[in-house]
Amino acid sequence: MSNPLFDIDNWREIGATLARNKTRTFLTAFGIFWGTAMLAMLWGGAGGLKGMLMRNFDGFATNMAVIFPGRTTMSYKGYNKGRSWDLTLDDVEKIRTHVTQIEHSTTNDGWWGTAAYGTKTFDASCSGVEASFVKINLPLMYEGRFISDVDVAKASKVIVLGKNVATTLFGTESALGKHVSFHGIYFTVIGVAGQQGEVSFNGRLDDSVVLPSSTLRNIANRGQNVGFLMFTVEKGHDPAELKDQIFRIIRSNHDIHPDDEQALNFFNVAEQFKMVDNLFLGVSLLAIFVGAGSLIAGIIGVGNIMWIIVKERTQEIGIRRALGAKPRDIIMQILSEGMVLTAVAGLAGISFATIALGVTDYMNIDPVHGSAGFALQLDHALVIMAVFLVLGTAAGLIPAIKAMRIKPIEAMNDK
Amino acid sequence: MTTDHIIRLTDVNKTYPGAVPVHALRDVTLDIRRGELVSIMGASGSGKSTLLNILGILDNYDSGEYLLDNVLIKDLSENRAAELRNHMIGFVFQSFNLINYKNAIENVALPLFYQGVSRRRRNALALEQLDRMGLADRAHHLPGEMSGGQKQRVAIARSLITHPSIILADEPTGALDSKTSADVMQVFRQLNNEGMTIIIVTHDPKVGQQTDRIIRIADGEIVAEPK
Repeated sequence: MSNPLFDIDNWREIGATLARNKTRTFLTAFGIFWGTAMLAMLWGGAGGLKGMLMRNFDGFATNMAVIFPGRTTMSYKGYNKGRSWDLTLDDVEKIRTHVTQIEHSTTNDGWWGTAAYGTKTFDASCSGVEASFVKINLPLMYEGRFISDVDVAKASKVIVLGKNVATTLFGTESALGKHVSFHGIYFTVIGVAGQQGEVSFNGRLDDSVVLPSSTLRNIANRGQNVGFLMFTVEKGHDPAELKDQIFRIIRSNHDIHPDDEQALNFFNVAEQFKMVDNLFLGVSLLAIFVGAGSLIAGIIGVGNIMWIIVKERTQEIGIRRALGAKPRDIIMQILSEGMVLTAVAGLAGISFATIALGVTDYMNIDPVHGSAGFALQLDHALVIMAVFLVLGTAAGLIPAIKAMRIKPIEAMNDK
Repeated sequence: MTTDHIIRLTDVNKTYPGAVPVHALRDVTLDIRRGELVSIMGASGSGKSTLLNILGILDNYDSGEYLLDNVLIKDLSENRAAELRNHMIGFVFQSFNLINYKNAIENVALPLFYQGVSRRRRNALALEQLDRMGLADRAHHLPGEMSGGQKQRVAIARSLITHPSIILADEPTGALDSKTSADVMQVFRQLNNEGMTIIIVTHDPKVGQQTDRIIRIADGEIVAEPK
């Protein structure tokens, strides 16, 4: 017994049928090709766009939040509204003690000044941070190290230079161990760092200098005041959950009305990540919707063509039925033609999309961040293939059933 | 020549429903013996095509009984009907009904494809049948590259490839000139001499005269007409 699947005549026949009207076959196949390519490119492209946007947040922990003082908007305990208040080390200490879900935290104080080495200067923003900073906003270290706990404890006169600051002051020379003046005080350079993403606090790290938090507070006479507090939360928690608890501590420390939500600023980076995730989930769904629409249009084209092919071949189908073709033989013949057309065009579409996404990804490779992720994932490709094969089969099913129902005598009389 | 009946129709009726139902066959009773060469003749609308379709298991009948080679042909499923057509009946049509994008050998081999015979085997058998029809040299030609007579001989080769019980020929010379018609009738005669049962539906008296028996049909009824 011969299996039609392995019978070369069967495949030659499918080829011959599809080749008989080349233009029509090409246009139908193009519908599938383009639909598949659109779906694959939009789906893979959405991932790439997300990757490009997420580059801005590179280095930032995704479970991070920042709190900083604002102005009161409600009168309370004899204080008028509109009062400004300062975040203090005492607030930070209490928050660290009572809010146990905080994983890492650092104070961050901003300043401004001119860094100088010999005759060379650079007007730089300055941050005073603790060692945990790198757990929250991982910098790119070009040389040396970042601020350590010991640096903070001893209020050491050490400095980390931003990449552009180091390049301006030292050119191609190593900055490590050199002494740089800032606000007339000399600091030993312990590292050269840069920023991974685009988002930053207290200026872009590449154009900044970083001091231990205690050192900055001493030389800038900040006393107990803190610019803002950055923190990450333990796994399984969301910074938003801690907002009320943190607010309660600060309100009680600063006589702020319990209902005054505006007095304290709470910037939840995790929420921003979620927003980006949701945005790109929406973009992906839209991409799938639009792409699937194109693919379905292509599939409907296949169904139409299969219908026309069945109509054109009514007499031939009648002859085959007279010669002994069973209904399932006719169904399989029509279905296999539709499936071959769909499979070939669909695979070409996926291949085209893979190449196009590869080229786009190559063109968007960033020296720091690498690939943006313009690529069709294997599971997505498999889903698309399954969709077009199932829909392609379904599209051929109605014409195939029509073909199966053709009566041999009526078909052979069909002119 | 054996004398047993290969076809037995008993009181077969067929009515086409419609606003005005058409009673195409009325109590048709007909016996055809194994090895006979018979013709069915009748005017247009007499019911001869309906009779051919029922004999060829291409259409159902309403009442009566039809035995083909002792197999009861009644209320068959589509699959069973296809199987019996494939194994027991060889068709030859007026317009040849060859598949025009298949060459002679592929056309002849087609019934074996539906039996699941391997490509090599069915092509070998098809070539044998084409050789028998004197067309071995045309095996790889498409129908469009052959004359009417050659096409009809390809169709006859196709009808023979499954070694059927009967050959049903519907106006087999209707599209041919007189010389080619004679050649085709000669082929039928030769096959009949080899023992094949052949039933030819025709309106051509010259064709009828070349058969052993003419079964005349009028208004859906058989009118026996001994030659």
